[in-house]
Amino acid sequence: MKWSIRRPGFWRLVFLVILGAGLYSTIVRFTGGLGASTALSDAFPWGLWVGFDVLCGVALAAGGFTLSAVVYIFNIERFRPIVRPTILTAFLGYLLVIVALLFDLGRPYRIWHPLVMWNPHSVMFEVAWCVMLYTTVLALEFSPMVFERLRLERPLRILHALTVPLVILGVILSTLHQSSLGSLYLIVPEKLHPLWYSPLLPIFFFISAIALGCAMTIFESFLSYRAFRKRLEIALLADLGKVIVVALAVYLVLKVQDLAGRGALAQAFEPTYEARMFLAEMTLGVIGPMLLLSVRRIRTDHFGLFVSALLVVLGFIMNRLNVSITGMEASSGVSYFPSWTELSVTFMIVALGFALFGLAVKYLPIFPEMEREVAPPPAVAVLRRPWMGTTPLVLTLGGIFFVGALGLAYSGLLHRERTLASWPRLEEEEPNIAEGLERLNIPPDVTFPQGEGSLGPVTFRHASHIDWERPDCTVCHREPFRILKIKGSAPSPPARDWHDARHCGRCHDGKTSFSAHEECTACHQP
Amino acid sequence: MVSQKGLLFDATLCIGCGACYEACKERNRLPTTATHFLEDRLSDQTYTVVKKRGGRFVRQLCMHCEVPTCASVCPVGALEKTAPGPVIYHEERCIGCRYCMLACPFGIPKYEWRKILPRVRKCDLCADRLAAGRPTACAEVCPTGATKFGDRQELIEEARARLRAHPQKYVPRIYGLEEVGGTSVLLLSDVPFERLGYRTDLLREPLPLLTWQVLQKIPNFVIVGSVLLGGIWWITNRRQEVQRREREERDRRRSFEESSRDLPEPPGSSSTSDLMDSP
Repeated sequence: MKWSIRRPGFWRLVFLVILGAGLYSTIVRFTGGLGASTALSDAFPWGLWVGFDVLCGVALAAGGFTLSAVVYIFNIERFRPIVRPTILTAFLGYLLVIVALLFDLGRPYRIWHPLVMWNPHSVMFEVAWCVMLYTTVLALEFSPMVFERLRLERPLRILHALTVPLVILGVILSTLHQSSLGSLYLIVPEKLHPLWYSPLLPIFFFISAIALGCAMTIFESFLSYRAFRKRLEIALLADLGKVIVVALAVYLVLKVQDLAGRGALAQAFEPTYEARMFLAEMTLGVIGPMLLLSVRRIRTDHFGLFVSALLVVLGFIMNRLNVSITGMEASSGVSYFPSWTELSVTFMIVALGFALFGLAVKYLPIFPEMEREVAPPPAVAVLRRPWMGTTPLVLTLGGIFFVGALGLAYSGLLHRERTLASWPRLEEEEPNIAEGLERLNIPPDVTFPQGEGSLGPVTFRHASHIDWERPDCTVCHREPFRILKIKGSAPSPPARDWHDARHCGRCHDGKTSFSAHEECTACHQP
Repeated sequence: MVSQKGLLFDATLCIGCGACYEACKERNRLPTTATHFLEDRLSDQTYTVVKKRGGRFVRQLCMHCEVPTCASVCPVGALEKTAPGPVIYHEERCIGCRYCMLACPFGIPKYEWRKILPRVRKCDLCADRLAAGRPTACAEVCPTGATKFGDRQELIEEARARLRAHPQKYVPRIYGLEEVGGTSVLLLSDVPFERLGYRTDLLREPLPLLTWQVLQKIPNFVIVGSVLLGGIWWITNRRQEVQRREREERDRRRSFEESSRDLPEPPGSSSTSDLMDSP
């Protein structure tokens, strides 16, 4: 291992800066609490750490369970070379989710509580168990890569025998977990915007996770290819592209049907903040990559596949943020934007993910042993039209979708203030002093006799003290208001005395105010 | 069977004196949080407020649902609906996931954001006083009877009687009778409830049913899923094994035929005949 001090490259520098900011924010979080380190509030209790770090981090695992099922259960052997990177991604995803949870939970040291304190009615309980169990399964699925490197034969044999049961368990847990993250929001039908709230939320979360899993596999294969010259299984990755097309198509059809069924389809085309963000998400993450990947020439092209996968990943992130933040904002009555602390912790976690992935690829047998050759030429002869290569085509199409989505999101942000303001608000009635002065029977001013050495007589104006900013009547006149049990006053009189001239009757005498002895219903229930 | 307690708040009777607010602060030993009680809002240090809305004074406090959403979503059971009515909080269980705050349809649970070891705070319907047979602090001090304490069933009867006696005055509805499956705190009003800040678009059935419909399928899903996946694995694995054996058999026979073309045929390969079904 060479950890000698070298001149840091650009990316290493970026990494160090992110890490530094993240560590500082970590200190702020754990010494100042959630209030000091986040933009969260009573009205908006879940923010970026849940919406991005947890919801998106868990979905990273989707590639792992999809491909391990394909290879080990369906015995489609040719996908074997890319199983390991997906399992590594899944494992890292879950580890980072746990790290994020330690930041987000108010009492992180009690993270183990769901183990012994059960509430099977809670989706969060299911989520907690899925995280714990699937992390264990992933650790076991990942460990052969370590054992191989260390040449430990015995544990390898044991794990090999356990492979199929582990994979089955993993698929079940993962399906439960991906969908349960959607189920988390089933309980807020009156809070989540109808463009996202749906009884099918668990299914939407599951399908989109599969698309993301495949896209991440493609994405990281390319990064490893670029960074470490790992072999690129372009034919296999192109097949994953096909899987993405199918998953996204199913998603799109279900989504449209669901919106139409609930009568919310028209809302998607209104000029509101939510609608624009929704359209941006669909353009970026669903329609765009689906169209790109269904073109064979783009799917089998390095650049085309990479761009499409990137669109899926970005669109997916947008979807999860829309569910957890955009869709919840209007009903919460506040607008939320993550604090820099939340952002820097998130960046740190993502950066750690990249770093750990890089280290693992470098030192463990993750990708198929590379032959020192450059990627083999595509098996199919690509007929290039002279006027249009694949790269410009990808750039044009991908660019259209990306810029389109960006434009939609931007126009959404332009509508943000207006949309959030148009949500029904409660009328808080401000004290109307002018009206109060007219209606109320305010006692006259009191002028105190001038004392010795005083500069002049002091006048107390009752009228100036009906403003709520100042002390009210009870502060000076405790005695008549004893029934309110003001601190420091004599004990409250028995109820039969309230009408007396000493208590309510003092003012409610029929002259100053309505009579306590005649107008019973003014105070008492009829 | 303990009779379930509750509160009946009648907005037509409230004179906005704030005694309930002060009594709540005193009973829970909470600090002053506003210059005037009408300007205060629910927080980790304020469990009930009086608001002037729609020309009336109205209280806001935990509704103590019959089937509380907060208790259903809590992964560790830190919130619990007790038999006498109060939804109480077990501080020592809470992990701080704040799902209760997200899920509560009335936006009641509040968090101690400023603390290192924060807790969820909300009205507990004076559970300790109830246990001692006393009414809640807010009901005890209410000078006009706007907040009335009693058995929930009796309060419902009382509310119905008031609606019958003054049908032209009240909005013909007891808020909390059916909202999200019913609440222990009931409301009467002569102005529409939404003007008082109470949502009237809430579901009639308890919200936990929405997630329970999904959660209850899990055991079946696990069993059926495992068997299905196991079965698929068995089939695909067996098919591969058969193909491999066939290939071996073919190779063996070919080499055998090549090496011993002169010898008579062997007496059939019965050992692998059962594997030869698949083409």
